[in-house]
Amino acid sequence: MNPIDHQLNRLFRAAAKAGVDHAVASPYGLETRVLAAWRTAPHFGFWDGRLLVRGLILAALIMGISLWPTFQSTPANPFSEYLQLADSDATVQIDNSP
Amino acid sequence: MTDAEVSACLARGRDGDEGAILELFHYMYPHITKLVRANLPAKESSEDLVQQVCIKVINHLHQFSGKVPFLHWVSRITVNTCLNQIRYEKHRPEIRLGDLSEEEANLVEQLATSPVEIDSSEKVAAKELVDKLLSSLRPADRLLMKLMYLEGHNIEEISSLTGWNIALVKVRAFRARVQLRKRYALLMKETP
Repeated sequence: MNPIDHQLNRLFRAAAKAGVDHAVASPYGLETRVLAAWRTAPHFGFWDGRLLVRGLILAALIMGISLWPTFQSTPANPFSEYLQLADSDATVQIDNSP
Repeated sequence: MTDAEVSACLARGRDGDEGAILELFHYMYPHITKLVRANLPAKESSEDLVQQVCIKVINHLHQFSGKVPFLHWVSRITVNTCLNQIRYEKHRPEIRLGDLSEEEANLVEQLATSPVEIDSSEKVAAKELVDKLLSSLRPADRLLMKLMYLEGHNIEEISSLTGWNIALVKVRAFRARVQLRKRYALLMKETP
């Protein structure tokens, strides 16, 4: 092993023995401040985000199912009748041209 | 607190039970404090940051899906809050031998000259020296080095605590270690 790595590892092992001081009790007033912030924050409650998303998906599904028959009965090209008329009109115009 | 108790507390908390919120606060407080102190930005008060994280967690309880343990979710929020706080901290002090205390300078010399383990009576000086060395790294690298070498977490645990994927943890750990080696080598050059 690289001597620098070896020295660093020894340093880290010694530092790890010092540990991290653990706080058990929260400082005075912190609990109250956190609770106060929780009380004033807007909460979704029953209408939380997930319920809203599920509702929107369900609504989209119902809309899709209800519109399905309409899509099925619509002709493949809604402009085809118009194009046929335009075509025949063009033929008439050519026939009557001087 | 067991997982079942945490789940019950979360359900009550989401329904607006103040007692449950308090229970959750007391459960996560030591965990948040430990992480914040380990990643404390230089000029930031740990109490302010702990309060910020606690409020963030409590106000976003409805977003907790339960896919990971509650404390892991809390850890991710804590780590991200700390990293966001120190993202703009541009000052990365370059550590010189003259900046070290007498005990720390002796420790560096001892490391260079003797192969034996450092005596436990010098653990505080060792911790301070490590903190100074780590302060020259980027915040994310600093956090990773602390979790890995000072707290003894393995790569999977770090991935779970931080939300970074395993490959990212490995790459970051490798780069951070290279940087740390460079800083330490510079320090060693100055030793008589």
